[in-house]
Amino acid sequence: MPPSYWCGLLLQKRNSTFPAKRKPKQIMAPKLQDFSLSVKLKYVKLGYQYLVDNLLAFFLIPIIIALFLESLRLSPEEIIQFWDSMHLTSLHIICSLFLIIYTATFFFMSRPRTVYLIDYALFKPPQSLRVSFAGFMEHAHILLHDEPKSVDFQMRILERSGIGEETSFPPAMCFIPPAPTMRRSREEAELIIFSCMDSLFQKTGMRPRDIDILIVNCSLFSPTPSLTAMVINKYKMRSNIKSFNLSGMGCSAGLISIDLAKDLLQQHPNSNAVVISTEILTPNCYLGKERAMLLPNCLFRMGGAAVLLSNRWSERRRAKYVLSHVVRTHKGADDKSYNCIQQEEDSEGHVGIKLNKDLMAIAGEALKSNITTIGPLVLPASEQILFAFSLLRRKLFNPKLKPYIPDFKQAFEHFCIHAGGRAVIDELQKNLQLTAEQVEASRMTLHRFGNTSSSSLWYELSYIESKGRMRKGDRVWQIGFGSGFKCNSAVWKCNRDIITPVEGPWADCIDRYPVHIPEVVKL
Amino acid sequence: MCARVYIYRCTGCTYNSTILTEKRMEPLMITLSFLSLLFFLCILYEIASQTRDRCCYLLHYECHKPSNDRKISTKFCGEIIMRNKNLGLQEHQFLLRAIVNSGIGEDTYGPRNIIEGRENSSILRDGILEMDEFFIQTLDQLFQKTSVSPQDIDVLVVNVALLAPIPSLTSRIINRYKMRHDIKTFNLTGMGCSASLISINLVENFFKSKKNAFAVVVTSESIAPNWYSGKDKSMILTNCLFRSGGCSILLTNNRAFKDRAKMRLNCLVRTHLGASDEAHTCCMQKEDDQGTLGFFLGKNLPKVATRAFAKNIAKLAPKVMPLTELIRYAALKFLKRAAILNLKAGIDHFCLHPGGTAVIEEIRKGLGLTENDVEPSRMTLHRFGNTSASSLWYVLGYMEAKKRLRKRDKVWMISFGSGFKCNSCVWEVVRDLADGNVWEETIAGYPLKTTANPYMQQYGWIYQEKSESYTGEEPKNRSV
Repeated sequence: MPPSYWCGLLLQKRNSTFPAKRKPKQIMAPKLQDFSLSVKLKYVKLGYQYLVDNLLAFFLIPIIIALFLESLRLSPEEIIQFWDSMHLTSLHIICSLFLIIYTATFFFMSRPRTVYLIDYALFKPPQSLRVSFAGFMEHAHILLHDEPKSVDFQMRILERSGIGEETSFPPAMCFIPPAPTMRRSREEAELIIFSCMDSLFQKTGMRPRDIDILIVNCSLFSPTPSLTAMVINKYKMRSNIKSFNLSGMGCSAGLISIDLAKDLLQQHPNSNAVVISTEILTPNCYLGKERAMLLPNCLFRMGGAAVLLSNRWSERRRAKYVLSHVVRTHKGADDKSYNCIQQEEDSEGHVGIKLNKDLMAIAGEALKSNITTIGPLVLPASEQILFAFSLLRRKLFNPKLKPYIPDFKQAFEHFCIHAGGRAVIDELQKNLQLTAEQVEASRMTLHRFGNTSSSSLWYELSYIESKGRMRKGDRVWQIGFGSGFKCNSAVWKCNRDIITPVEGPWADCIDRYPVHIPEVVKL
Repeated sequence: MCARVYIYRCTGCTYNSTILTEKRMEPLMITLSFLSLLFFLCILYEIASQTRDRCCYLLHYECHKPSNDRKISTKFCGEIIMRNKNLGLQEHQFLLRAIVNSGIGEDTYGPRNIIEGRENSSILRDGILEMDEFFIQTLDQLFQKTSVSPQDIDVLVVNVALLAPIPSLTSRIINRYKMRHDIKTFNLTGMGCSASLISINLVENFFKSKKNAFAVVVTSESIAPNWYSGKDKSMILTNCLFRSGGCSILLTNNRAFKDRAKMRLNCLVRTHLGASDEAHTCCMQKEDDQGTLGFFLGKNLPKVATRAFAKNIAKLAPKVMPLTELIRYAALKFLKRAAILNLKAGIDHFCLHPGGTAVIEEIRKGLGLTENDVEPSRMTLHRFGNTSASSLWYVLGYMEAKKRLRKRDKVWMISFGSGFKCNSCVWEVVRDLADGNVWEETIAGYPLKTTANPYMQQYGWIYQEKSESYTGEEPKNRSV
């Protein structure tokens, strides 16, 4: 077999486009020519990427080497003579010095303040709240004993959901029938939020009185006084704290809170901000039989995260990540997008959340919109040029040509896709051409914790850290979707190597992961 | 110039003759000082331009006036209360006192489901319908009067404490007005009656980082799904006091709109007493002993409000009071004499949250204000009731309709909210204002000589009733 065949095999395997289970012998003879062609193209593309991404280096390095060699050739007297011949006076030097000082000062003044993520803490539900498939189905049978079709529907959803047997429900939802009172909702909120906050303060050594900004996002539960007031009361925070309570903004609300914290930190120097992302399930358990509304019951689980952000210079060493970009996209102007997730009453008056069948397509559209904005900010020059050419070609010559999808694997090392459901992760993997390893964090979070709404991105990040994959300089892309329809993304850069073992909810089970999740789990 | 020419003549010298004479030092020092001065001037200019672009201008605000078929008179209010079979004689007597003393008039507005008799069986649709009517009326007018297109809006903040549907109310507005996809939206809930100033704070912060931006703040309260059908006295009060209303406000930091703006934000101070358990629990949403959800107002509410108020003023006063007044106050305090800060030295108009007659009266006495100062709040309470977060804007509207707001006047807005929060801000009026706004048709009849309630006359018989024979209906042989 010619060497080009083996190279092609190797390259294709790395890019994971090589279909599994195909025996090499079978395809050897007819595919030889194709392989050699594709190998050449791959090398060309690699070469092009290296050239364009490091253009400046390619220009400057030869010049610097030439200057260095030239300076070695000259003797010290010749160098001094050369310096004198430039006739530089003190005035020239002072003017140049001032020019450098001016430029440097205005450059630093106009730069936004760096936002550091010092650390974050996740909620680990106690074992007593675990909901197994058998337990879930038993409850479903009892509550909907008159509706076998709805029970069957829930079973089918559960079988194909990608969710495991270790996810959790709040206590009120374990009752038969569930008891969605205000008191129990507050208890669930206190359980999740206080445990995250205690863990965060312990990990970071931060005192509650040092917190300047507090943002809580919880879509489905908004009591008065707000959850922010509850946190301020428990931890006796300062009276001049800036607090904001966001609600109803869906599963992408965590990134909206991060964006708000980033904006606030630009205006308040030397400040710390805490962002709490959670979803309180108790008040929103759907008690009816409408199938489209039973879906959230099957997918949503208990979870929460507390994140500590800061813009203090002193935190730059111990911070885990630095925030690079946050991009928000809202497709609410389009009626189809707006109506795809709606809270409404069914025919019996039970309130539930209805998910439309075209949710995936709408998510894809929103993602495309978001990518168009974030692409220029994060993609290397090589990908941007290719994308621009493809766009021009489509506009000028043939609109039917397939659009060039930029290779986001060039821009990021890790991907955290909101674990909304198996279909969401599959769709995004296909759209962004990601490998199985790149979506592993999302799939395993969905399996271990279920869909914890806005906090799922943090569980995924913790998975990557616990696996020991996070290195200094790695870039992470977090993508969240939400009702409305929103697609928000955040880009973080790892500030220091994160060493395992990592404290958190994955600590006792990370060795079991990744697990293989079959298409259908027969119940 | 001569110095420079002189310097160029000297450039023939090499570094070997490096002894700089005095004559050579002088032009060098001049240049050095000139460049340093230029440097500092540039820095100052940069800082100044950043500060200028950060100003938050209030372009226009539009208060909601529901249609006349949504008016709730005291008589109608009485009928609704009598419908509640959970209430007995004592509760009716208590409510009568509360309504009579509330200072609320005959023309306030309620949500449709309560008027149609469905207060105990409200559906999600009722709350959304109440919001829709408010959005459509105020936002349409806001965009039309200011000629700003919805596609120009960069930030949208909605605060409605007691309603949080999915998708959020911000998404609902974006869908209706087809706003841009890169708009920043924030949906604040659960933050009580002071939430509209929190929204303004959010926008103010956003304006500091983005130039030439427009923001819309939509503030309201959801009454429809929050009627209390139990009999806990501390929870029925909210049924009597809160009314439907709302306000949409357009803000910008674009200096080109400076002349069209109504007011400019001077400063904003937020105070949170959540650290104190007493303050945190004095007003909260919870279930009563029978499990009915309602809004609890504790007896210690006025005391907590006063504490929060004092703390807020302590932070705000140094920012707005003239130096002379601050020195006077400090001197008196130092000499351990009784001292009241004369707020009128720095503030011309007082926009107090019309939470109830008692609240307004307490604040009036505490701050040493006159009847004229609290008139806008009292009249707003009478005409529109307590519309929660948006009530401040109705008070502002009254002042404007009465042509009280003149150029360079300072307006102080103060509100309280559950948690316990006290937020206040000071606006500076940019030009003489005279827009009739939502008060246009009725302003001529204000101020009223008295806000006494005719309910007492009509329902006074209740105090003669005995609890054993009480049926909840007026006895037919009542002597007039």
